[in-house]
Amino acid sequence: MSERVVITGLGIFCGAAQNISSFRCAILEGRSGVGPIDLFDVSPFPAGIGVQVRDFDPVARFGGRGAARLSRADQFGLIAAGEAMEASGIRGIYDPYSVGVVVGAGAAGMFQAEQWLKGALQELKTSPSLLRGVLPDRTATVIAEEFDIAGHQGTITTACSSSATAIGWGADLVSRGKLDAVVCGGSDTLSILTFAGFNSLRVVDTNPCSPFSLGRQGITLGEGAAFMVLERETVARERGATVYGMVRGYAVGGEAHHMTAPDPSGVVASRIMKDALSIAGISMEEVGWVNAHGTGTPLNDVVESTAMKLVFGERATDVPLVSTKPITGHCLGAAGAIEAVATVLALGAGTIPQTLHFRGRDPECDLDYCHTGPRSTASSVAMSNSFAFGGNITSLVLSL
Amino acid sequence: MKHDVADIVVTGLSAISAAGVGIDPLLTAVASDRCCLSDVPETLAIGAKLRWGRADQFRAADFMPPLKARKFDRSSIFAVVASGQALANAGIRKGDISPDRIGITIGAGFCGIANSEEFISGYFLKGVDGVAPMLFPNTVANAAASNASIEHGLQGPNVTAVQRFCSAESALQLACRFMEEGRADVMVTGGVDELTPRMMQGFRDMRQDRLLAAGFAEGCGAIVLERRSHAESRGAKILAGITTVSSIGRLLAGREEEALHRLLPSHPPAWVSLSGSADLLQAFADALPGAKRISTAALIGRSLAMGGVSMAALIASLSTGEHGLHLAASPEGPYFAINFIGGSPA
Repeated sequence: MSERVVITGLGIFCGAAQNISSFRCAILEGRSGVGPIDLFDVSPFPAGIGVQVRDFDPVARFGGRGAARLSRADQFGLIAAGEAMEASGIRGIYDPYSVGVVVGAGAAGMFQAEQWLKGALQELKTSPSLLRGVLPDRTATVIAEEFDIAGHQGTITTACSSSATAIGWGADLVSRGKLDAVVCGGSDTLSILTFAGFNSLRVVDTNPCSPFSLGRQGITLGEGAAFMVLERETVARERGATVYGMVRGYAVGGEAHHMTAPDPSGVVASRIMKDALSIAGISMEEVGWVNAHGTGTPLNDVVESTAMKLVFGERATDVPLVSTKPITGHCLGAAGAIEAVATVLALGAGTIPQTLHFRGRDPECDLDYCHTGPRSTASSVAMSNSFAFGGNITSLVLSL
Repeated sequence: MKHDVADIVVTGLSAISAAGVGIDPLLTAVASDRCCLSDVPETLAIGAKLRWGRADQFRAADFMPPLKARKFDRSSIFAVVASGQALANAGIRKGDISPDRIGITIGAGFCGIANSEEFISGYFLKGVDGVAPMLFPNTVANAAASNASIEHGLQGPNVTAVQRFCSAESALQLACRFMEEGRADVMVTGGVDELTPRMMQGFRDMRQDRLLAAGFAEGCGAIVLERRSHAESRGAKILAGITTVSSIGRLLAGREEEALHRLLPSHPPAWVSLSGSADLLQAFADALPGAKRISTAALIGRSLAMGGVSMAALIASLSTGEHGLHLAASPEGPYFAINFIGGSPA
């Protein structure tokens, strides 16, 4: 990237925590948000757990009419983007035509759209406003409208890597001077579609997910939104902005292997991680740890471990590969952004987070996963991986 | 924001639309100003008489075995076929280029919605016994691009963009940037969309069936972009060059003219293509009085990602050295202006 990009605002609203302060504690202290799901009936499925946003009243937050015109994903996105905007203090600093928004999204407003479909199947009259957020681009539009952002409006939708790519793309727009600031991140929610879908593929663990552990059975779904505000370093420091970290670079690609199964060789995944480091101008030795995609599915965790070995070689066992998904759940389209925010907060605290819910050592996952507890680190650089349906992969390089 | 593009050319095109399969039927429809929209069958019980831009002439069986087609959703079939045809048009066969140097960015409209509807309907009607696991992988909006990447071995940058009626243009913007950064030598880009009866029901309930969803369309426009030096080194025919990609997130009240000034070129183009709601913007018409217009909405329908087909029609219409401007808009933003120059002028 041509000019360094700094993070001047962070925001989060997810099942594990509803603001940055609480989320920092959850990540550093290893507080899992996994619990029962009651957003919809999960009794027909083997797994009835997830990381659901609780104690949230959209009408109290947005008013009756406001809540009705926003999908659950839009609501989460507005709250998290609002916290990031507030922290950055950029409102009124830049011309709205030089500020952009880039959102990574997945199932988006499917939760509400399902209610419309259920009514349609029963030939009942349901509110058409339930369909407003069915497409993933709606969250970017409502954020642009709410925060008077007019320079760019974009949405990336590559399933579970969406919001990591959104952050990479947002950083690129800032670094080359196309925009002065970008609000970027992701939002996604629990829905019957994804809950039933992943259960139908038998990749949902009936217990809280335990990435890289022996006996792991799959994911634990979550929901939420995370956003960050990006600016050029020179301008941000000149105006005295708080700098939480930097987006140093990213790489994106596709395995071209299979819609749902990762390429077991890990070759493309490792190439993308290497590309991200190269683009960031960061050497392998500078990377202190990697926030894994780390879903807890039997195959993903082995492939990601293999990719780590291809990237770091003999040093692979010295670079902890940790998953924060046991804390947040797998938030799909928002996962990349939530994990990027977790990584930045952990870097700021000089801590490598713990991978929770250890069940035993898997001989096929033979790296250091910080299963025993969080760890202090002097490293100021970490990577965050996101793998997705379709073989889409994004790696972010983040630093203090 | 304005992005001056250097040394990126178009070497391949394809289109699937209500006009037919391929660029030629599309150009014929444009040249004859022939409307290809058809009536939505009354048997679908959507309500009052509606028209849509179904790609009725497209048959998956013409391009792949039925068993293979069964694993795809309709959007993915469009994307797999159109991207394959565009690569063939560019003279690129699978394996010609290192897989990590060729990628794909596709603008997706309602991609994934059909499978999502069928999957959830099965659950609502029959419980977990009604759930069909094979539908789930293609419920994601990136299924079309990812299936195309798998089919054609594209391991470079792979991104699906959705942004209102400017989804294909957003994808092209990403593709240009990836090539400019040196992340790829070749990118397949464009837009894909599909239609279902349930979508039409949704449009009706939202009262969009007489507005922007009137004559809603499906299909795929695929464009092969290539670094000029790469294209020249392999002797590829250069169909056009891209000179600028400009976009605005949304129009600010009282500052609309300023935004349009940022978008529109200083020199009037010979051709202008209009996508999304761009044909409804009087400001665009006023600013480009002499240009020959390609307004695909009236001919093959409008959709979130039909900008890919519109851009393909524009590029195919340009003579060497002619300037073409593609404009795309959504009522709530964004707005795009993409400038092309025909052929490979010295």
